[in-house]
Amino acid sequence: MTSAQLRRAAWAAGAVILAGIAILTADWVIASIRAPRDDRTVKALQQKVKEDPAVSAKLDAEQKRITDARRARRIRDRAVGWTLIACSAIFLGAVKRLIARSAPKAVEMSRIAAPISTGKKRKRKRKTCCGAHAHDPAAALDLGFVDEAVAQHGRGREAAIPLLQAIQQHYRYLPDEAMRRLCEITDITPAEIAGTSSFYGQFRSTPVGKHIVRVCHGTACHVAGARQISDELRRRLKIPEGFDTDADRMFTLEEVACLGCCSLAPVLMVDEHTAGRLTPATAAAALEEVEEKEPA
Amino acid sequence: MPRALRALSVVVLLLAAAAALCAQAIEYSRPVETAPQQETIGGGYKTPAVQKPLPRGWWLDILDVVLLCAAMGASVWIVIKRRKRRWLVGLSIASLAYFGFYREGCICPIGSIQNVVVALADPKYSIPMVAIAVFFMPLVVAVFFGRAFCGGVCPLGAMQELVVIKPLRVPKRLDQGLGLLKYVYLALAILFALKPALTRDFLICRFDPFVGFFRFTGAPYMLATGGVFLIGGMFIGRPYCRYLCPYGGLLSWCSRLARKGVTITPDKELDCGLCTEACPYGAIDQMRAVGRKCLYCARCYASCPCDGELAQAKKALVGIGGAQ
Repeated sequence: MTSAQLRRAAWAAGAVILAGIAILTADWVIASIRAPRDDRTVKALQQKVKEDPAVSAKLDAEQKRITDARRARRIRDRAVGWTLIACSAIFLGAVKRLIARSAPKAVEMSRIAAPISTGKKRKRKRKTCCGAHAHDPAAALDLGFVDEAVAQHGRGREAAIPLLQAIQQHYRYLPDEAMRRLCEITDITPAEIAGTSSFYGQFRSTPVGKHIVRVCHGTACHVAGARQISDELRRRLKIPEGFDTDADRMFTLEEVACLGCCSLAPVLMVDEHTAGRLTPATAAAALEEVEEKEPA
Repeated sequence: MPRALRALSVVVLLLAAAAALCAQAIEYSRPVETAPQQETIGGGYKTPAVQKPLPRGWWLDILDVVLLCAAMGASVWIVIKRRKRRWLVGLSIASLAYFGFYREGCICPIGSIQNVVVALADPKYSIPMVAIAVFFMPLVVAVFFGRAFCGGVCPLGAMQELVVIKPLRVPKRLDQGLGLLKYVYLALAILFALKPALTRDFLICRFDPFVGFFRFTGAPYMLATGGVFLIGGMFIGRPYCRYLCPYGGLLSWCSRLARKGVTITPDKELDCGLCTEACPYGAIDQMRAVGRKCLYCARCYASCPCDGELAQAKKALVGIGGAQ
C-alpha cells in the first residue's frame, strides 16, 4: 500500500470512529431523556388500568413500544461497537505503518541524541548558554590582545610558539583573524604559523566548547569499551563526523591516550572532574551533571 | 540468596493459595428447590433466566485456567526464547479476543485481588477455585520470569499495548511519582473489600476502565474514562498498567526476584541504546532492563540491531543480495 492510500484509510477510519462515538453519545443522551418519561407514562397507564380495564390494550402497546425501542438501541449500539473496533484496528494499523515509514533511521538517531527525559532542562540551559555564543565570536573579535602579546614576546620568528600559546590561552583557540593580524605585525610568515600551529597537538584552529571532555582511549579503556562511550557522547551531543564540538559550544570531545587510572576503565574527564567505570548511559549522565551545575 | 528468597516467596504464595482454598470450601447451593419449579407450575411455564452471567460449567472454568497458563507460557517463550515482537502482538490479539471480548473481561487477576482478600477475611465468603488460580499463577510466574502476564496475556494490557502509536518518554521523576498511585489504589481496593458484606465494594471492578468495551455496555463515565485512557495510551505507553493497575504493583514486587526475565546483556547486544529508545515504558535504565517495570512487549528485542527482528531482516536482505 502506498502512503497516500494508508493516509486515506486512516482518515476514513478516524471519521467513522468519530461518527460512531457521536451516534453512541446521541443514543445515550436520547435514552436518558426518554427513560424517565416512558416510566412515568407506564406508571400513569397502570394507574388508569386499575380503574378502567379497557386501557390495558393501550398499556400493552406502550410497553411493547418501549421494549422495542430499547432492544433496537441495544442492537444498534452493538453494531456500532463492532464497527468501532474494526475501524480502530484499521486506523491503528494504518497510522503505525505511516509512522514507521516517516521515521527512517536518521530521525531515530536524532531522538537518541536528545533524550526526552532531560530534554526540557537541556533546552532551557542551552538557550542561556547560547546567549553567550549567540554572535559568532570570530565576527567581533577584539584583536587588541594580539598587539599586547607581540609587545610582550617580541616580533621575531623565535617568538612564534609563545605567541601562539598566549593567543590560544586568551581566545581558547587560534582564530583566523588573530593569525592574520599576527602576520601583519610580526616577521612570522603565514606558512610558518600554519606549519607550527598544525604540527603541535596543543594548538587548535576551531573554537572550543565551554567544557573539555577527554575520553580515555588507552588500552584498558579501549578494551572496556571506550569506543562505545565516545560514540554515545557524539550521538547525544549531535557532533557530526570530523568535528569535536557541539553546536552550542558546550562540550569539546577529545580522545586521549591515557588518563592514568586504568582501574576505573572506561574513564573520561570533564574539565577537572573524572568519571570512571562508565557505561554509555552513565557517561552521558556525567556530562548532564556538569551542565546542570552551570549557573543558569 | 536470591534463590532462597525466590523459593521462600513461592512457598508463601502457595501457602496463601492454600489458605484461600480452605477459605472457599463452602458447599455452594441455591435454596431454589423449595420454590415452585417449572414442572409443578405447569401450563407451559418456563422459568426465566434471571441470572447474568449464567454460571459456567466447571470444565469451562478449568479451560480458562489452562488457557491462562498456556498464554503465560507462550508469552515467556515468545519473548525470552524467540524474541519475536510480531508473535507477541498475535498473542495479545488472541488474549484480547478470548479473555477480553469472549469472557467479557471476567475473571481477571486484577479483580481477583479483592476476591482473595475477602475470602481470607470473611469465613462466610465462597471464592471459586478459578479466582484463586487466576490470582496466584501470574504471581508465581513473575517470581521466576517477571511480568509475563502483563505482556500478551492481560486483556486490559493487550488493549493498551495495541494502541501505542508514538510513545513519549515520561520524565523519570514523574514516572516514579505516578507509579506510586497504583499502591494507593491497591490499599484502597483492599480496604473497601475488607468492609462487612453489605457495604463491601469491589473498587477495581467498578472502576475498571476497559471492561465496558468488552461488554459493549457500562456506565457512560467509565466508558469515557476508558476512551481517555486509550487515546492517552497512544502517546503514553500503557498508562493504566504503569500507574494504576493494583495487580501490576503486586507483580512488580514479585518480579524483583526474577532472574530469567527480559535481560539486555552485553554479550548478545551492542550497548547501543536503541532498545532504550524503543521501550515505551521507561523500563530500560542505563541499557539494562528493569524487571519490575518491564511489561514483556519485546520491543527492545525487535529493535536490536544485533539479535532481533531488525538483525534477522538484515540477514535476510544480505542473503537476497548475495544470491543475486
